[in-house]
Amino acid sequence: MELSAKKRGALASGATYYGNFILMTAIVFIPILLVVFGSFKTEQELGATSPFSLPANWFNLDNYINAYHDGGMLVGLKNTVLLVAGSLLGNVLLGTMTAYILNRFDFKLKKAVIALFLLAMIIPAYTTEIARFQLIHALHLYNSLGAPTMIYIGTDIMQIYIYIQFLEKISTQLDESAMLDGATYFRIFRSIIFPLLLPATATLGILKSVTIMNDIYVQNLYMPNKHLATLPTSLMSFVSERSSNLPELCAGIMLVLLPSIIFYIVFQRYIFKGLMDGAVKG
Amino acid sequence: MNNKLQQRIIIFSFLLIPVTLMLLFLIYPTIQLFHYSFTDWNGYSKSMTNIGFDNYKKLFLDFPDAWQAIRNNGIYFLIHTLAIPLELMTAVLLNRTLRGSSFFRFTVLMPYIINGVAVGYMFSYFYNPINGPLNGLLHGLGLDFMIKGWLSDLHIVNYSLVAVSLWRFCGVHVILFLAGLQSVPADLYEAAQLDGAGFWKQLRYVTIPGIRRVIEIILFLNVSGALLQYDIPYVMTGGGPGTASSTFGLFSLQTAFTFNNYGLASAMAVSLLLLIVVFSGLQNWIIKDRSE
Repeated sequence: MELSAKKRGALASGATYYGNFILMTAIVFIPILLVVFGSFKTEQELGATSPFSLPANWFNLDNYINAYHDGGMLVGLKNTVLLVAGSLLGNVLLGTMTAYILNRFDFKLKKAVIALFLLAMIIPAYTTEIARFQLIHALHLYNSLGAPTMIYIGTDIMQIYIYIQFLEKISTQLDESAMLDGATYFRIFRSIIFPLLLPATATLGILKSVTIMNDIYVQNLYMPNKHLATLPTSLMSFVSERSSNLPELCAGIMLVLLPSIIFYIVFQRYIFKGLMDGAVKG
Repeated sequence: MNNKLQQRIIIFSFLLIPVTLMLLFLIYPTIQLFHYSFTDWNGYSKSMTNIGFDNYKKLFLDFPDAWQAIRNNGIYFLIHTLAIPLELMTAVLLNRTLRGSSFFRFTVLMPYIINGVAVGYMFSYFYNPINGPLNGLLHGLGLDFMIKGWLSDLHIVNYSLVAVSLWRFCGVHVILFLAGLQSVPADLYEAAQLDGAGFWKQLRYVTIPGIRRVIEIILFLNVSGALLQYDIPYVMTGGGPGTASSTFGLFSLQTAFTFNNYGLASAMAVSLLLLIVVFSGLQNWIIKDRSE
């Protein structure tokens, strides 16, 4: 009797578990599926059928073709990739360099520099945008990919902390033996520190890419020029021009969602690792 | 080259660019923001007059739209806070390795990763008044009386937007909780079980103290997330109808860039900045570990 009660308990908890997660999966996927359905329907079809019904023709790609052409999605994709690549390159180099100095050296102004970085960390994103806007104008960076790139590189304080955490675990004996062999500090950074930080770099870089791909504010504010549209901003201008055509809107949404879904599927391992490391160690 | 000199050179050359960028793009604008907040600057004219605390006076005493906006932020904060225990429970469930748990983990984080603008428009379609899926669903269930203008009804629009925000951000909290749970040593649970502690007692005495650090992070993210809430209302309603769904951040940026009132907008941004710092500090003080 005892055993069967236990079994029944396990069964009930299994049911709660799966029940919860099936519900959760439905909540996450149904809105996305509805957009998929909508994107394959014609305008009349969408008006006449239930939003939950499957499209009559899964090969109706007209909406995608129109959204692709009129939305300028290729330009958007190109600029998003350029923005991500440029910012990552700068971030990785400057982030590892800063962390190397702050972790391995003692110098007069070290406390001041660390205090500055700490202060910078509590300043919330885009509350300072009003003042930054003037600065970008003064530097003649307005309406160029340079503006968001500089902002993304210059304001990511969190990654410096995570790099420092990783550096603490890399033994200083490695540096010392390289010193004895006559390596310069720069050589140590290039041949020992930087390569050893690569796993952390992969994770941080992928999280940073997600942040940049999701940011609209900076991109929208500093690059109004149509040639500089990124994926999110090109979707925004596409929608504001023809918001009444729902199937094309759905196709436009899908064109912007797909790259991020593919990115997520490919890099999910690093994304989880980054979030989890950040939470437990940060 | 002697060692000391070499050290100086590398410290200087490695820190020069990062520190300059940070001062330029973060610290300098913050100082400027404080400065603008005491002026009547319109953003383009060459001159600005120092007007003391007038912007702050207007903001606190004579600016009902700003109060409305901050109340809206309050709605985001309250509802997201209420969701936190649920997120923790989901993480506790996910922490067991049953079949399919990695797929669920993948699913739960997906809304956070995929493009935010696309998510905004996706839910605009979901809430569409004409044949939108939500109204279609209610009609199908025979609940026609519940059919609403989800984004046009003044009393509902904020809740519609908060629902999208929950959809988007709950997952990341679950994953952070999960990270915390996995850092709690398993033998603590075994010991608790030997002492006869059931599920709830284990949660109260082992789990929650073990993930205090993660709880702090999540509460901080919750405050700053709610106060900085910007993308969803910007994309979905533009803060409308009127200013009914505007948040404080969105409203301050509109005040600057749409209405060219930089002085007042800066005062709003400064208030928001201080609010986040004070609120987070207060929250940390409340949940501080006082057992020692």
